[in-house]
Amino acid sequence: MKKVIITILTAGLLLSACGKNPKIDDTMLDGGKFPDPSLSHPEKYLVSVAKPTPTPADATKPVIIAVHGYGATTFEWDEFRAWAGNRTDFSISQVLLGGHGVDYDNFKSSTWKIWRQPIMNEYSKLEQEGYTNISLAGSSTGSTLILELIAEGYFNNHVKPKHIFLVDPIIIPSNKTLSLVAVLGPVIGYTTVDNTSGEAMYYFHYRPYETLDQLNDVINTVRKQLQDGITLPAGCTLKVFKADKDDTADPVSAVLIYKGTKASTGANTDAQLVHSNLHVFTRLDARKDTPTAQDVKNQTDAFADIANTITH
Amino acid sequence: MKNTYVVLLLLIIAFCKPVKAQVRTFDVGMRFQKSVGLYYENGITGQYNLTRRWVLGAAYVTSRLGTAWGTNAIKQDNVFVSGTYKFRPAHSLQPFLRANLGYFTADYGSPIFDSLPHTSAIVSGDAGLSYAFKFPAKLNLSFGYNAITGNGTSGAGTLYPFFYQLSVTYNIAKL
Repeated sequence: MKKVIITILTAGLLLSACGKNPKIDDTMLDGGKFPDPSLSHPEKYLVSVAKPTPTPADATKPVIIAVHGYGATTFEWDEFRAWAGNRTDFSISQVLLGGHGVDYDNFKSSTWKIWRQPIMNEYSKLEQEGYTNISLAGSSTGSTLILELIAEGYFNNHVKPKHIFLVDPIIIPSNKTLSLVAVLGPVIGYTTVDNTSGEAMYYFHYRPYETLDQLNDVINTVRKQLQDGITLPAGCTLKVFKADKDDTADPVSAVLIYKGTKASTGANTDAQLVHSNLHVFTRLDARKDTPTAQDVKNQTDAFADIANTITH
Repeated sequence: MKNTYVVLLLLIIAFCKPVKAQVRTFDVGMRFQKSVGLYYENGITGQYNLTRRWVLGAAYVTSRLGTAWGTNAIKQDNVFVSGTYKFRPAHSLQPFLRANLGYFTADYGSPIFDSLPHTSAIVSGDAGLSYAFKFPAKLNLSFGYNAITGNGTSGAGTLYPFFYQLSVTYNIAKL
């Protein structure tokens, strides 16, 4: 009897795992019909491609590499570029994470080390081209990946970044069952996100458990690095902007970063709680609800803070 | 270090013969707890064996004696009381079910984060196995579920739903 029950349970688990192919349609980023525009027009997104041979004056102007989050695309930082408008006192390089912005299969087979590779590629290209005033801004998992790069010493042998900005970084997920993804993942196969029609082209609708497992892995890796202490590169500053209510990245993530990072001088880093219930409060386009005046103020205040810091 | 504790406890099991559980006794000992996906939180526990089946207990576990020891992890404290029901009370190996009620508090270390929830009630349950040794000591292993956790919009963010724990207690009084 016991054997029968075990056999039935095992078969059930295997069957439930095997049948997990999501129903993808052409209205979704997952279907491959909306590749990220930075792939076909990198010159519009990457400073290293747009201006590969900067003048000595341009080479010292601030460049900020903007990194989006898990399951997102360069769209997440489009509003920062739009806000900056025709300003010429700094440039924005919008990086597309590896495995993102193409289709479901590409996403499913990616790892967090693949996700972060384009950040290093752009940083290294800018450095080779002579840029010396480089900063980074991350949203959500983009922030986690930037912290991981600092912790593993990537910048030790590169030009030092000037400033780091983290918008709604994820170190502690709001949905705590993410910690069980290694066990539950093979059973559920994938999770879904309720995107608006506007978001559908820019955010994956399906999240394969393999990538959730990678997400869990990188946030745990960085959490442990923060526990041990992360020292910023010499001369670099760091500021966290964190929505105080966030159903994706628990606000306590900001506490862990604040406690776990120090400037090279030993000084504390900076953190600011933002009164918002939006995950990545700096992205307002294509939201389900019309942004409030407070949402708009939060966004423009953060953009102004970032621009003001890197240009002074 | 934590692995060393586990190995030592397994060695004790291997070299000791079990005896029947005692009744109306008071045991105290250490509790080692791990949230699935987060911190080790260790501390002390006291268990009053009311009958052969029912046990009243209290415990205090903290990350200060776990992951936060010498690191930047958040210092958080849990104190709770519990009621346990034991199955197979005449045997040395006893499955049990336990209900816990208590209080959680975390120290975020800066006034910047004063507006974030850092306290919570604890309502949890766990199930596991208790083993009574020949000498008056018990070993307790269980897996549990916290009914109240943080979800990003309410609740303490570092209160996680699943945990497992190991307790080692020694009888200090027969009442």
